[in-house]
Amino acid sequence: MIFFINSIMQANKSGIEFAQLKRIELFNDHHEDYRLIVRDWDPKLHPVTRAAGVPDDKLINMFEYFQDAMTLPDHPVHLADLDFGVGGTHATEEATRFLVYNAQNQLVARVNFTGDDQVVTSTELFDGFGNLYRVDYYDTRGFRTLEQWYTPDNKIGTEAWLDVHGLPVVEKFYRPDNTGELTATGWRLTDRNDGKVYMFDTVEELTLQFLNDLNAEYWSQEHPNIFVLDRGHVADWGLLHLDRPAYTVNHLHNAHASGQDPMAPIVNNNYEFTLNAINGYDAIVSSTHKQSADVERRYHPTAKLFTIPVGVVPDRLLQAPRIPVSERTFGKMVVFARIAPEKQLDQLTKAFAQIHAAVPAATLDLYGYADNNNNYAAKRAVQRVIDANHLGDAVTFKGYTTDVDTAENDAMLYGLTSNMEALTSPSWKPSPTG
Amino acid sequence: MPRREQNLRLLPEVPLNKYHVDGVSANYSVIKHAGREVGRINVLPATVGLTMDVESRDLRGNIVARENWDWRGFKSSQDHFHPDGSVASRTYFNRQGRPVLEEVWMNVNGQLAPSMWELLNYRGHNYRFNTEDQLFLFFLNELISKDDQAILISDRHTLDYVVADVQGAKAKWGYLHGVHTDKPATPGRGHILNVYRTLLQDRADAFDGVFVATPEQQHELQQRFPDMTVRVAPDTTVPTTYDHQAGAQPTVIFVGRFGPDKRPEQAIQMMAQVVQRVPNAQLHLYGYAPDDATLANLNRQINKLGLKDHVIVGAYLSQRDLAHVYATADVIVQTSSSESFGMNLVEAMSYGVPVVTYNVPYGAANLVRNGDNGYVVPDNATKQMAAKVSKLLTDKRDWSAKSAAALAWAREFTYGRDDQVVEGITPINGRWNITQSVASAN
Repeated sequence: MIFFINSIMQANKSGIEFAQLKRIELFNDHHEDYRLIVRDWDPKLHPVTRAAGVPDDKLINMFEYFQDAMTLPDHPVHLADLDFGVGGTHATEEATRFLVYNAQNQLVARVNFTGDDQVVTSTELFDGFGNLYRVDYYDTRGFRTLEQWYTPDNKIGTEAWLDVHGLPVVEKFYRPDNTGELTATGWRLTDRNDGKVYMFDTVEELTLQFLNDLNAEYWSQEHPNIFVLDRGHVADWGLLHLDRPAYTVNHLHNAHASGQDPMAPIVNNNYEFTLNAINGYDAIVSSTHKQSADVERRYHPTAKLFTIPVGVVPDRLLQAPRIPVSERTFGKMVVFARIAPEKQLDQLTKAFAQIHAAVPAATLDLYGYADNNNNYAAKRAVQRVIDANHLGDAVTFKGYTTDVDTAENDAMLYGLTSNMEALTSPSWKPSPTG
Repeated sequence: MPRREQNLRLLPEVPLNKYHVDGVSANYSVIKHAGREVGRINVLPATVGLTMDVESRDLRGNIVARENWDWRGFKSSQDHFHPDGSVASRTYFNRQGRPVLEEVWMNVNGQLAPSMWELLNYRGHNYRFNTEDQLFLFFLNELISKDDQAILISDRHTLDYVVADVQGAKAKWGYLHGVHTDKPATPGRGHILNVYRTLLQDRADAFDGVFVATPEQQHELQQRFPDMTVRVAPDTTVPTTYDHQAGAQPTVIFVGRFGPDKRPEQAIQMMAQVVQRVPNAQLHLYGYAPDDATLANLNRQINKLGLKDHVIVGAYLSQRDLAHVYATADVIVQTSSSESFGMNLVEAMSYGVPVVTYNVPYGAANLVRNGDNGYVVPDNATKQMAAKVSKLLTDKRDWSAKSAAALAWAREFTYGRDDQVVEGITPINGRWNITQSVASAN
């Protein structure tokens, strides 16, 4: 089996997720089987993956794997489905939650919901003495997936992921360090097949167990398993410690050093471990020949180097008629990127300020969600340039969009100022549309 | 369910291809990964290597989870812990390993205590309770819900108020296993002890009546509560009587809790006088002390009186081990300030052991007739008790007569005979059947 490993797959995807999904399209087109591995727990995972064209039986989330809950029927939970074990309750409704009281008007639970049909996402449970003792999370399929057990001073002490019978199968523990701060000190796994109980110090060790289990479950002499690691931190260590052989591929989805200088002494932190342990993997994939050559020149790895572009332009776009300039908005420049420091959109905005001075009709639309690091520093930097150059009417934060085609078909220019790109999928995607 | 001995080395949940299990002592073994402790298996007391519980430990050595094994060899519950190491929650499992009951510890009036019990999916529903007694009431109601002949006898009086609330029982009785007032020697005087107030006063209407072991206690209760139904039924029986065996040394025994109401120190004082007349006499005390200080005091007293070679403070013994103690004892002494009956005396007499007891309510006079199956001396009269004990230890003829009488008394309490002692209580298949008695009182 060929596994594509990521930590997340969110509605607001970034380049790595797009690269995986395009690869999946390619595999589907070639009738090649695959499994998309999502390591982190996410109760809203399935609607996203289904919408992205990944059916439940091709998706393996690590927690759901251990919970034996990968494919479940959809039974979204509503308030009326919940049984608090207390008779005579009544509820009041707020914007995103119900407050449930017993007959004596004592708070029994807060029930958080989402959407017009008020699907339950979590319940905050109170004992008869007013203590919040547990928060339960429901995934979008209606499966009660996680219990968070609280301490008397209102912190999470233990988290327990449940199987479909409500039995804890993955547990995470928080204990005070010597400053009194609660930190995660261990993971406990009860194997869903043989009941063996394991203690792990870190999620990386738990992930290794998961990869070993996958490798054993999909073991084949004829078609050895291939693990393609698309997000390094998930398994760059784990893939080096598998119990049984597998073909391990580490995919560089970004410049491995500074974008300007592939020999810069300080490398991209996401790939520092990978590059120093480079020969522990069977192959390293870059998306351009230039990057493959840079890696070869710098590390001389015994690991095989492949160049595989991550962008796939679908036939639909290639064959679409070119949109003439006359049908586009005059002076419209667009960019599709997270508003993040490495994208340097403040520089793009500065450049645009000069364009705007020369061509007052020019406008710039920034598509992408804002990176929240340092309290949205990147977005604030762009805002400062907008304010300093009075570009409030010309530059617009459009937010994340899935409808790239419409925006690109209407634009005249694409701006790229990122200092780190492995292959800039949004910027060369405009080319086919003209 | 049958017992399945679960040896800790054969615990199916320990991945022995990843972890070492190292025996540290008879009490526990450690589970190690690459030399670090990740768990601990504690041994069921009084067994060789059977599993009592399995702890999981984090990288700082904290217990983070514990599986509690039932003596019968199944995983009965799992605990989680608060950061300070106290139990935070306990999930109970059925035999299939499914969660059926959850117990939570949180703050109750500022103190960490069990704050919630929730039955999970019991007959299709969850049921939540704030106290264990509420859960117990639910249990009792469920237990008898399909039994229109159910009779409840409340033996543990801290639970009387729960039994009082049970709905639909054919009858409910309280059974007194101790004296109910603080002045048993003066009937009609003194206060009802707190623990009996629910049964005898506050919720007396919820019960059909009360059982006591002696007519004296019955009389006292009827004097206070003329409308109460009070019946006499001794709470002790013995299977049969046994032959006495001569011991190596003249031996006096004391069997009972070393509590202040039992006054074991008076038995030791008494012994100081016995050894002056019977130099090789032994006193063996069997029971448990309520606290370490009591035990230390007893040992100090023994040393102070120079009785180290004459008094042994033994452990709490099982019925099987006690059999040997009774069989070879020469005299049993009772120094309690009061007793509702005296199980220990009945048991000793079934081995032909004569009794020397203080004359205290209620059991003494019912079980021992002075000069017949032993001697009854005034309360606190250690000297007189010493004299009677010495006589039994030295006067072979007197001892034989009292021993024979003790056996005869004990026969009155064998299973086949209790129907003679208390009308309406009949043995069925070797077990007591008092249902006819309590049912007929309705």
